[in-house]
Amino acid sequence: MKAFDVIVVGGGHAGTEAALASARAGASTLLLTQNIETIGQMSCNPAIGGIGKSHLVKEIDALGGAIGIAADRAGIHWRILNSRKGPAVQATRAQADRALYKAAIREIVEAQAGLSIFQQSVVDLRFKGQKVDSVITDSGLRIKTKGLVLTVGTFLGGVIHVGLNKQTGGRMGDAPSNLLAQKLRDIEFGVDRLKTGTPPRIDGKTVNFGLLEEQPGESQRPTMSFLGKPEDHPRQVLCHIAHTNERTHDIIRKGLDRSPLFTGEIEGVGPRYCPSIEDKIKRFSDKNQHQIFIEPEGLGTQELYPNGISTSLPYDVQLDLVRSIKGFEAAHITRPGYAIEYDFFEPRNLYPSLQTKKIVGLFFAGQINGTTGYEEAAAQGLIAGLNAARLSQEKEPWVPKRSEAYVGVMIDDLVTMGTKEPYRMFTSRAEYRLILRQDNADRRLTPKGRELGIIDEKRWTKFCEKRDQIDEISKKIKKIFISAEDKKVNAMLNKPLGREYSLLEIMKRPEIKGMALLEAAGLKMISSSVAEQIEIDCKYEGYISRQEKEVEKNKSHSDQPIPPDFCFDSIPGLSNEAKQKLALIKPKNLGQAGRIPGMTPAAVSLLMVYLKKGDSIQNVHAD
Amino acid sequence: MAYIKDTIAAIATPSGKGGVGIVRISGPVAVRIGKEISKRETEHRVATLVSFYDDRGRTIDQGLLICFQGPHSFTGEDLIELQGHGGPVVMDLLLKRAIQLGARQAGPGEFSQRAFLNNKIDLVQAEAIADLINSSSEQAALGSMRSLQGDFSNQINSTLKKLVQLRVLVEAAADFPEDGIEAEINKDEKEKLTYLLNQLDQLLEGAKEGHAFSQGVSLVLTGKPNAGKSSLMNALCKRDVSIVTEIPGTTRDVVREDAIIEGVTFRILDTAGTRQAKNKIEAEGVKRALKEVERADIVLNLVDVSENIELEMMEELEKNKRAKEIVVYNKVDLLHKKSIPSSFQCVSVKTGDGLQKLKKRLIKELGVLSGGDSIFSARRRHITAIEQARIHILEATGFIGIENQIDLLAEELRLAQLALDSITGTFTSDDLLGEIFNNFCIGK
Repeated sequence: MKAFDVIVVGGGHAGTEAALASARAGASTLLLTQNIETIGQMSCNPAIGGIGKSHLVKEIDALGGAIGIAADRAGIHWRILNSRKGPAVQATRAQADRALYKAAIREIVEAQAGLSIFQQSVVDLRFKGQKVDSVITDSGLRIKTKGLVLTVGTFLGGVIHVGLNKQTGGRMGDAPSNLLAQKLRDIEFGVDRLKTGTPPRIDGKTVNFGLLEEQPGESQRPTMSFLGKPEDHPRQVLCHIAHTNERTHDIIRKGLDRSPLFTGEIEGVGPRYCPSIEDKIKRFSDKNQHQIFIEPEGLGTQELYPNGISTSLPYDVQLDLVRSIKGFEAAHITRPGYAIEYDFFEPRNLYPSLQTKKIVGLFFAGQINGTTGYEEAAAQGLIAGLNAARLSQEKEPWVPKRSEAYVGVMIDDLVTMGTKEPYRMFTSRAEYRLILRQDNADRRLTPKGRELGIIDEKRWTKFCEKRDQIDEISKKIKKIFISAEDKKVNAMLNKPLGREYSLLEIMKRPEIKGMALLEAAGLKMISSSVAEQIEIDCKYEGYISRQEKEVEKNKSHSDQPIPPDFCFDSIPGLSNEAKQKLALIKPKNLGQAGRIPGMTPAAVSLLMVYLKKGDSIQNVHAD
Repeated sequence: MAYIKDTIAAIATPSGKGGVGIVRISGPVAVRIGKEISKRETEHRVATLVSFYDDRGRTIDQGLLICFQGPHSFTGEDLIELQGHGGPVVMDLLLKRAIQLGARQAGPGEFSQRAFLNNKIDLVQAEAIADLINSSSEQAALGSMRSLQGDFSNQINSTLKKLVQLRVLVEAAADFPEDGIEAEINKDEKEKLTYLLNQLDQLLEGAKEGHAFSQGVSLVLTGKPNAGKSSLMNALCKRDVSIVTEIPGTTRDVVREDAIIEGVTFRILDTAGTRQAKNKIEAEGVKRALKEVERADIVLNLVDVSENIELEMMEELEKNKRAKEIVVYNKVDLLHKKSIPSSFQCVSVKTGDGLQKLKKRLIKELGVLSGGDSIFSARRRHITAIEQARIHILEATGFIGIENQIDLLAEELRLAQLALDSITGTFTSDDLLGEIFNNFCIGK
């Protein structure tokens, strides 16, 4: 088979974004998957977005990715979270129809120029020295490549637990990639085990919805993609909320002796923010009920995903616990819940570009790096795919900084601090939260994406239109004055104007809604998102500029590069622990070095002095 | 390479020794600070006799102001020297004023580091700079540890705990809106913030007034009855303050007196010895003594070596002592045969032997002779941090109960914590998430 610039292994959320980004960046790209039918499969809960996660989705979208567009085509129930807590923590979430989502991703992947799909299992990797050379597939094909992105999710050494029964598998019903896992273990990337779980799925026609609390979606539906419109959304449905009760908890307690979580059968570490129901009962025994979000799996199916009772208890206990819940007395389980343990590789062995430090041209993205979630996986996929393409084109890698994107925060966290549990994004992880909002992802990243060559003409034109209008109106509002008698504006305020004010001054008041004010002043806009940006720019001006100053202040210092071959051993006065960590992590710049746990300000000062010394010596040689 | 954009300040001379003291300010706004502090124009490389003024226009001190324009200065940046009368109080006021005017308290070895980065110091000296950074950051750590003893530290920790509790609530409400935390958040945030504000105010009051700058370093004498505590106190204060008898347990309450050693005021407290009390009054004395030990900056634990004391016991004492404790072996004049290692602090209060050495040790213990980060500059750092935290908590109070601004409330609380981090160590976002998961049942 002919050689490719980039090969991506895996067709999940990381793999598809990686393959798309690589192809958009102009590299000839091959996507290898065990099964073409599972491209874009949502293996866990049927939802996209949420707090911190919709930030990632909108950033991927702003860089031309597919996840936002697919969510818009598949979202059957939309919510705006934290709508009254401030723009920086506001988020969007969509329940997605699995089939529609998968179809949308498949369509986008198939339509992408420069991208080929091929159904093959990868059984071996070939390196030339410390460099990627080719992959070997189960049909014995050898395919050469310059960049190789592995996005194999939970398929490496996957073990599935239901009660005390266990079997190998990458996802219920799919085989694990054990040959590949062994190969990677041999390279000594530093392997550890993580665990995650799913709840039992329920047949909707056996549930009495009349007894459940209804949760309607937003009437004014948001979108995920910058290019999306509410009209893209399919038919909308209701979600429901149910609760566990004391009887449920008793059933679980009685079954704990057959829970692989507590018998020591499961060694992997599970996420603290997504505990199994047996974990919740054990750790918070004083709570007499827990919420369950009853999420529809799709429009064309009766199946339900009861989010909140993920479990690895035996089937008989699962059935009893489900039937103890009000409304579920006659419920039928269509698929039992299970826990899955899988291998992940120490992410501190990666550069921020997501290339491994050991093998040139080998990139890791997604759950293999210890993260969880479609959005986290997709974001890494985009960065790994883009950088694999750039490597094949002999260009410098690109990774957003912590002050530019949540994607940058996540990658910096992973490669600098590693992770002990499945890593999930939260807004509290971002120190520059006020400037990294979901509403300005396009303004933050699309121009950069254009520069990188991964933004198409259609998106760019639309982006420029919005950007130019924001600029234009931002200038106008300083010059337009509203008289003290203006009826429309006075009606919006708690107390009358009193004197003449500029639109800008009025916009800063908390009770003012941007769109309404601009319309009252007779300004026409292409969309409400323009008004939203102007309103936030005005109201948050002081805070945003304070954070921007903080970014600027740290810049000269933290952006100072550390050469990749820099020898930390030669610095006297650094503790051995600091030297070891620096040698393992190989920080790209002083800022990253300073964020390594245990690095003191004095250690960073020393590093600064020795970087300068190294510089000067090199300059002398150059002379 | 332009590495640095801010302005740093530090006391450049060993303080506490009287004579002349220098505060050095380096960076882009150094010259402006010089102008504002002296209300005079400055001239490059000319020493001008000026008055230094505080923020309310009162004179802090009279002295020389010298301005060095970059790159013709030690650091290669604009640099100002304020030369005043030495002594910790004046120096601290000058440093405080410089910080008010926009400087940042310099980190360990930072002036030399800047000199090096700006090519003012030879490449060969990189190792020397490294040594300096290392040794002065060790001193800074010691100074900080000493500043953090007693009540001050307890108060900071309890304040921080409250702040973290509040952040856990606010951040959890922002990151986990579907886990029923909101119900808890609206109840009494405002009260909690007011409480925090009060705590910080108290801390500042305590740190400013109760501390060495005005009232002296608190030094507590402990030890078995009749070990010679009262005699040592009298010797340090050079007059009879405590009643001295040969009857153990004579001092039943805490006796206080000031002594000035090398220009530093020590508030000496002579306590009742910590032995099994024979009566109620003495018992109360012992209780008070223990409380004073908790609060003290330095504790002198007196041991009578004329009693049967073996070398192993002394080594045990040295090993188990508190960070702020010095074990003093008294009555060495009564020793004939036994030899005591020279590293141990020995005196004979009766003959006066070893008293000078003990005084020197006390000063060294404060770090004021080294010119590095002493307890004084450490405390200044801590006060600046608390003041910053206070500003952010005050800002935060404005966002309570206002719709759409939980993100701003969270930001002010984060900045408050960031300021206090410099005292108590870093609290990462992962630590915060850990607290959230421990306190709330999170997750679907």
